[in-house]
Amino acid sequence: MTYNRRRRAFPRRKVCRFCADSKLKIDYKDSKQLKYFITERGKIIPRRISGNCARHQRQVTMAVKRARHIALMPYTTIQPH
Amino acid sequence: MRQYETLFIVTPDSSEEDLKAVATKIKGVVTGMNGIVTSYDEQGRKKLAYSVKKQNKGYYVLMDYVGSADIVSEIERNMRLDDRVLKYLTVKLADQVDPESIEPEKSEPPEEAEAAGAPEPEATEVPKSEAAEALEPGEAESPEVQESEESEKKES
Repeated sequence: MTYNRRRRAFPRRKVCRFCADSKLKIDYKDSKQLKYFITERGKIIPRRISGNCARHQRQVTMAVKRARHIALMPYTTIQPH
Repeated sequence: MRQYETLFIVTPDSSEEDLKAVATKIKGVVTGMNGIVTSYDEQGRKKLAYSVKKQNKGYYVLMDYVGSADIVSEIERNMRLDDRVLKYLTVKLADQVDPESIEPEKSEPPEEAEAAGAPEPEATEVPKSEAAEALEPGEAESPEVQESEESEKKES
């Protein structure tokens, strides 16, 4: 039983999509691509879920933060009054 | 010489003249400080992810240029003072750029992805097709006229 439960806790290791496809570029101006790496509330999806490698996750984070600054992406979806 | 790009937002209620005025002003700052504007791309009106200065839409402009670090601070100072510019973001693209390898913006704004080869032959073709039109208006029209129209649209 415990063995089974532990097995379920380790899903298939995801491959970093940017390492797999070198044509993909991380660009802060491309908000459609970056949308994949934020939650519905606008938070950046962590590496353990997105499956990015450390290097590319850093680049994604940088890009999302830049896109937020220039109002291409939301800081939050809860609109302040 | 360093290569920078600045993405900035102009108020959506600004007229064509306002956009032109902003363009000439910002370009003038770059060229006035021995910089080279490599591309000036007006990306058009987009919805903002959050309201900036009570505006929900903005006119995005992306400018690529090459120059010293002083240009960045001068441009950003100008943008802060200008009420038409809502927000700006400058990113350094390259540290060392050979000034001679850069072509200033003239015929086609060299988009980074396309800069390799695609836009240049087109740009040289446009005057040819226009000349062909002038010489023989009957025959050589249909494909070449379309091409020149397309490139004009890209330029504008």
